[in-house]
Amino acid sequence: MLPKFASVTARTKDEALSWLSSLENPKIIAGGTDLMVKMRAGKHYSHIIDVAGIPELLGVTEKDGRMSIGPAMTHARLSTEASIVRNARSLALACGLVGSPQIRNMGTIGGNLGNASPAADSIPPLLIHDAVLTLESRDARRKVPLEEAIVAPYVTSIDVKELIDSIEISPLRGYREGYRRVAKRATWAISRLGVAFAIREENGRFLDARLAIGSCTPMPFRAKKVEDLLKGAPKNEATISEAIRMALEEIKLISGIRPSYAYKLPVLQGILEEVLRG
Amino acid sequence: MKTIRFLLNGKEASIEVEDNETLLCALRERLGITSVKEGCGIGECGTCTVLVDDEPHYSCLTLASKANGRDIKTVEYLSSSGVLHPLQEAFIRSGAVQCGYCTPAMLLSAYSLLLRNANPDAHDIKEAISGNLCRCTGYIQIEEAIKNAAEICKCNGQD
Ligand SMILES: Cc1cc2nc3c(=O)[nH]c(=O)nc-3n(C[C@H](O)[C@H](O)[C@H](O)COP(=O)(O)OP(=O)(O)OC[C@H]3O[C@@H](n4cnc5c(N)ncnc54)[C@H](O)[C@@H]3O)c2cc1C
Ligand code: FES
Ligand code: FES
Repeated sequence: MLPKFASVTARTKDEALSWLSSLENPKIIAGGTDLMVKMRAGKHYSHIIDVAGIPELLGVTEKDGRMSIGPAMTHARLSTEASIVRNARSLALACGLVGSPQIRNMGTIGGNLGNASPAADSIPPLLIHDAVLTLESRDARRKVPLEEAIVAPYVTSIDVKELIDSIEISPLRGYREGYRRVAKRATWAISRLGVAFAIREENGRFLDARLAIGSCTPMPFRAKKVEDLLKGAPKNEATISEAIRMALEEIKLISGIRPSYAYKLPVLQGILEEVLRG
Repeated sequence: MKTIRFLLNGKEASIEVEDNETLLCALRERLGITSVKEGCGIGECGTCTVLVDDEPHYSCLTLASKANGRDIKTVEYLSSSGVLHPLQEAFIRSGAVQCGYCTPAMLLSAYSLLLRNANPDAHDIKEAISGNLCRCTGYIQIEEAIKNAAEICKCNGQD
């Protein structure tokens, strides 16, 4: 049984924003795949506002060289959306690996960010695409880089009265891009390790290499120091092993030593070798 | 309480539901559709699967209000003409039903696959039922049944 709450279904964004501002103890629901589980476990809100069917929160558009993703887009739709497959391949792949077919038909990218799990599969791909969230409340609108929106595991800087209005990303063209995930079971297991990468190389040099790693640290992170090292460096074993050493170092610096690292770090090393050697 | 209207197995339905009621609960307790089962209640077993606009969803994690205006199908739809669907026949023939607890949901995931893909390969079939657990069969019989049914549906030009 779920705790008692009142629920409303918003037909437009304005309707959702005005309910968010006027109703007491409100909570947004999209696909419900995280929230329903939490409420079943006892988490209580007074008013649940369903935003899954709001047309303004759906679709993918391109403008001025950036792409804008509606937060109510499901993993299933994003994994096959032509413009995402073409310009943000790691995101399409990651969304296609989430949970099970049912979870992908229900769960949304906005919900994946709102829940802010260290293992959220959409986050590493969004990080390498420089994602910026547009957050809107009835009275204000602001843009926040994804890195700043997630402040701790399962904690965001999104206010209870705010709605993710859109997720803006930079398309990457001419990159070798992908997503590697290691999970205990293919389906269901919340991702144990997720690596998003996009690499551009020319004449035996890395021109630009972007790497983001999920499920290893309290929040998925973009390995910026490693990226700086790789920029312009010759593509050879010396560069690659130095890059990997740095990546593992950075993880230990962020999280200290954890028991799971005995297993995770060697697996990560293998993934990074494969990805960088390409 | 609120009134929701939706298509249930092709027929219009209108019911009163609580704000905090799941679709699973509404189907079972208000509409008597007990083929939709609560195995885990948290999105892990798949026995509560229903089709929403022909796509499989977990009804245990779906608020009943989300069904408003949608097309909801349960396993009863497959035999609504009075004869078993080729998928159901194939499940029986292949021994894909043992205790039967997972079967209605398994059939719906399979049916949704065949709507999207008339020629599924072994990987497509595994993927399509990857959100449905079966504790009895070991899946091989189920996969075989779906493959056989796909062949028969193609011959009959049936969905
Ligand atoms: C069995 C199972 C397996 C899973 N497997 C995976 C997996 O492999 N990988 C993975 O990453 N996740 C997985 N998940 C978690 C979950 O499915 C995803 O995080 C999903 O993307 C959540 O989306 P939702 O729309 O269902 O979110 P909801 O549950 O509706 O919402 C989640 C949070 O986001 C907030 N929110 C939603 N939309 C907005 C918005 N527009 N603006 C502001 N806040 C918003 C809600 O208020 C809530 O706090 C799994 C879950 C289950 C139950
Ligand atoms: S009852 Fe197990 S997934 Fe819904
Ligand atoms: S037949 Fe018993 S769970 Fe599948």
